[in-house]
Amino acid sequence: MSSQAFTGGHKASHQELPPEFQDQEESIKITGFWMFIVTDVLIFASLFATYAVFVNRIASGPTPAQVFQLNTALIETLILLTSSFTIGIAIWAMRQNRQRMVTWWLVLTVLLGMAFVSIELTEFAGDVAAGWGWHTSAFLSAFFLLVAAHGTHVTMGIIWAVALLFQLRRRGLTTVTRRKLYTFSLYWHFLDIMWVFIFTVVYLGGRLI
Amino acid sequence: MHGGDEQHETAIEPGFDFISPRFEEPKFPMHQVWGYAASLVLTFAALWMTVNRIMSPSVLLGVVLAMAVGQAALQLGVFMHVRESRGPAWHLVPLGLAFAIGIGLVGMSAWIMLFKSGVS
Repeated sequence: MSSQAFTGGHKASHQELPPEFQDQEESIKITGFWMFIVTDVLIFASLFATYAVFVNRIASGPTPAQVFQLNTALIETLILLTSSFTIGIAIWAMRQNRQRMVTWWLVLTVLLGMAFVSIELTEFAGDVAAGWGWHTSAFLSAFFLLVAAHGTHVTMGIIWAVALLFQLRRRGLTTVTRRKLYTFSLYWHFLDIMWVFIFTVVYLGGRLI
Repeated sequence: MHGGDEQHETAIEPGFDFISPRFEEPKFPMHQVWGYAASLVLTFAALWMTVNRIMSPSVLLGVVLAMAVGQAALQLGVFMHVRESRGPAWHLVPLGLAFAIGIGLVGMSAWIMLFKSGVS
């Protein structure tokens, strides 16, 4: 299959589609994964709404401006934006049938994800050590709930990506592994979008309210 | 549902062109490079504007939020290939609905908290 095969534009017939869409069952799973993302959008919307309601309820605890370090948040953002780019390149390489390239860009994505989670955990540990735990105020409860929900998603994504690396090594780029890589990329980019909102609302917003 | 190797094209009703599937597979991932660069520019611009307080905080919050929405659109369009689909891209409809509900939920929660009276 040549990489030129998919350039058919929007009138492409099924035969010209990438393998993960050519196969009807796999393409249904991709649609199903979009439905999962739809539900996850609603979960994060609820957490953002909770945060918006409680952000000024600081009780005797610290204000947002006291808690948040913009440097750390910027580094986390840059890491996640870069990992979104690397998985984007992995999917591009997958469409070109370049398995080695897919593997290395996926490895890079996993490493960036791990760096992100480590920095976030360090940040949380520092907050708790300073006496700013989730029980300190409604603001901190909402903050930890929102940001840790995102961090948990990223951690799950890392486990998923490592499993995919093993499958890729064993089975190569099959229709099924292509679909799994594709849905993983959707998940990862979705988490990047949620982080951009966390960076804007929580970290930048903390300086503006 | 039809058989997997059936060749007919799914007809898309007029007015529903936005769900017609699109695929793009260039030789070099130029889209991704530009998308990455644009997301970095938006991030640094939002940070710079916030640190330097170039306008009143409430207006600035609106501006950086709009920039975040821009970044989300960038991720969806450039990286998530949101229009790729086997048939009509029906997932765009519930996705748009979820974003609309989300914006309503967050926006109205923030709005109702502006009223200082009542329950606190």
